[in-house]
Amino acid sequence: MVSQEEFARFVTDYNEDYILLLTRASKRHYDCLITSFMVLKDLYNMIQVLFDTGQYTHEVLPYPYSFRADAVLMRMLGFGEEGIENIFGFLDYVKETQGMEFEACLEEGTLAMCDRVR
Amino acid sequence: MSQAIIADGIKDKTRQLIENWTTAVRDDPRIESDGKLSTPELIDHVPAIIEEICELIRSGEMPDVRNISEARVNVYTRFHQGYKGRDLVRELSLLRITLLDYLMEISSDESRAVDAKDRHEAATILNLYLDEEMRYAITVYCNPSSIAREESNENQDAT
Repeated sequence: MVSQEEFARFVTDYNEDYILLLTRASKRHYDCLITSFMVLKDLYNMIQVLFDTGQYTHEVLPYPYSFRADAVLMRMLGFGEEGIENIFGFLDYVKETQGMEFEACLEEGTLAMCDRVR
Repeated sequence: MSQAIIADGIKDKTRQLIENWTTAVRDDPRIESDGKLSTPELIDHVPAIIEEICELIRSGEMPDVRNISEARVNVYTRFHQGYKGRDLVRELSLLRITLLDYLMEISSDESRAVDAKDRHEAATILNLYLDEEMRYAITVYCNPSSIAREESNENQDAT
């Protein structure tokens, strides 16, 4: 059984990691980023499923797990225009290197995983 | 079998549907929060929401907490744009009407051969998706830290 304290820590960890991964993307550090986003998506889903049980409250809201074409959200999270361009550039990079959209990669799971992890 | 026809039909018409929805939101005297937003800010994440709904219709997948990512982004950004909760609900209600009206248009077009069962399933997915979004909106707007923030904004507006 996950305690409220642990739940809050999951959300804090998720938020920190989400910003960290976006920051990497904003600096064009794309290596193994798909894998990192996959792992983070699992954490995000777990938070949503746990919260849906009605047994936990959000002390801090988790950032929404998506950055597709949403410059408004990226600006809210503190990224500048160049950083946002690079974040969206990651989506093009994924399509070029994996031959599929970012979301499809998340669905594919291990097929799109970084060689270092696979 | 006609899920793909419905999904493609809505997706191909996204731009027009968003225009209709934008007009409906701007013309609705009950929505006040949109006045602060430019048209791109108002439209913001709605195309992504329509796309996500289309993908769910295409795959026949029911919306749940794990497959409504774009809906969550919309709620999150609206909240941080200072949108009132009741305005967000009304805006989503207008989006629902816009999409359901077009779904009826697609299904009454005999050349598309959409059967009643698939139309019903598409309408169910669409409704459940927007209901999940409203459910999430309640979570965000009723969160204790959010309430404190709203009260602080209201006090600032009053001064």
